[in-house]
Amino acid sequence: MSGLGMGLLRKTVAEVDTWIHRLDGRTKFLFFLWISGFAYLFCDYAVTAFFLAVCLVLAAYARVLRPIGLTLLVIVVPWIAVNAVILGLPFGFPWNETVIFEFELFGMRIPVYYEGLSWAVTWPLRIGVTISAAMLFFLTTNQARLIATLIKLKVPFRFIYMVIATLQMIPMLMDEANTIYQAQVSRGLRTDVGLLKRALHYFALMVPLTLSTLYKVQVRAIALESRGFSAPVKKTLLHKTDFDKADYMFFAAMALATIGLLYIYFTYGFSPIAHMRYYIAG
Amino acid sequence: MSEYIVEVENLTYSYPRKSNVLVDVSFKVRKGEVLGIIGPNGAGKSTLCKALNGLVPHFYGGRFSGRVVVAGMNTLEHTVAELATKVGLVFQDPEEQLSGFSLTVYEEVAFGLSMLGFPPEEIDARVREAIEKVGLKGLENRSPFELSGGQTQRLAIATVLAIKPEVLVLDEPTAQLDPIGKFEVFSVIKKLADEGSTIIVVEHEIEELATFADNILMLNEGRIVAQGPARNVLSMVEELKKYGVNPPSVTELTYLINKELGAKLDVPITLEEAIKIYSEALGVM
Repeated sequence: MSGLGMGLLRKTVAEVDTWIHRLDGRTKFLFFLWISGFAYLFCDYAVTAFFLAVCLVLAAYARVLRPIGLTLLVIVVPWIAVNAVILGLPFGFPWNETVIFEFELFGMRIPVYYEGLSWAVTWPLRIGVTISAAMLFFLTTNQARLIATLIKLKVPFRFIYMVIATLQMIPMLMDEANTIYQAQVSRGLRTDVGLLKRALHYFALMVPLTLSTLYKVQVRAIALESRGFSAPVKKTLLHKTDFDKADYMFFAAMALATIGLLYIYFTYGFSPIAHMRYYIAG
Repeated sequence: MSEYIVEVENLTYSYPRKSNVLVDVSFKVRKGEVLGIIGPNGAGKSTLCKALNGLVPHFYGGRFSGRVVVAGMNTLEHTVAELATKVGLVFQDPEEQLSGFSLTVYEEVAFGLSMLGFPPEEIDARVREAIEKVGLKGLENRSPFELSGGQTQRLAIATVLAIKPEVLVLDEPTAQLDPIGKFEVFSVIKKLADEGSTIIVVEHEIEELATFADNILMLNEGRIVAQGPARNVLSMVEELKKYGVNPPSVTELTYLINKELGAKLDVPITLEEAIKIYSEALGVM
């Protein structure tokens, strides 16, 4: 791990110090689960958009808005665009009935439905909330401190290995993808092609990328083992692993928000603002 | 207690998908000795290193026979983690050695110690000592991934030195480094050798190895084809070349002069020795 991936971690975890960075990893992981849960509990694009906005405000404060924003731009925005066409237009979404407006194409009047369009926006936004909260956790958490926490919680080493491998997979994949792509370009891969073709290029990288990353993860596991990672002794934790005031305040805020959101849910239903009629479509 | 800190007896090993990577390998290493391991690619050198800290067979599986005892611990009877306090293995690619989640050089060196449960004060003392020993003082707060190749390999050595293992095993520590990086790493190894550390080093840079190795062991296709004092093994020019290993240039030159011109010069294995021998021969001293 040398270039992009570590650069990103370095920039976000090591060089920036906000109260979000100082929050315990467990707090941020709980936030990720909490906000993702509520994003799926409600079926309302406005509420989900609000959750996404909360994540993005926190990301902006923690100065990690750029990588998160870019990820959302690549995943969520195109998804909404494709969904909007498939679900919002008369292509068979079963609950389409409320026409918002119509437009003319090749002499035909084509209706755009509220139900389909709502669904088209809600699902990508939900995924956007999950991605944003997960990235907020990952990009603002010192991994060594997180691992110290897991050790203190007596989490089995096998599981900690899995956490480490997962955390390292992201920057490793970024680095490997970059290296392999540059190698392909230097061997004549054309870069002056359209977005779709370029996406296909990346797809072709998947097999070598996955294999080489898995190999690196295995080597890293060997290195950790050689340094006594699973030695049957009481570990010395070099990082603070206790919750502090900011963590408790964050928990309190989440608890208050939980009460409020549950009140809204039980009083106004799963779609309090957008008034979507169905929780499950199909 | 044996006078040897490493005892390898009749070691034969096959990976799950590759047979006879090591065949009947036996050797011993005394405390404070520097053993150089040489041989062509695929000779089994790296596997032998991994057998010394128990990665072979504990991590890789496969068929293992014979006995490897390091600092009184039979590697088959102890886990890799337990052996970590006795054998420090430095990998060929320094980045592979790093934990990957330490954000500073200090944290990286401290990682192994904290995993082995050393008290915080001792961790601090050992980390500072190891960092100083490898010449990285002043870079404690630098990210491990912002170091040069030579610095990263020195950091990898520091991570191992901090644990104060009884045997330091280096698997081609300069293979991926530029000339400056190689120089930096060799300087550290020579310093450790001078301080009396027990070192087993796999190295293709024979000229450098000749300057600090006490004994040399040559492997070919998993078997030992030569072993003994460095001078004896490195002077076997024909043998070395037969197995694809280049002897030191000065050794080969002198060997050829003796052979072709019938001279009777002592065979040097280092440049310093060569200067002395040729100065005497030319009568310029």
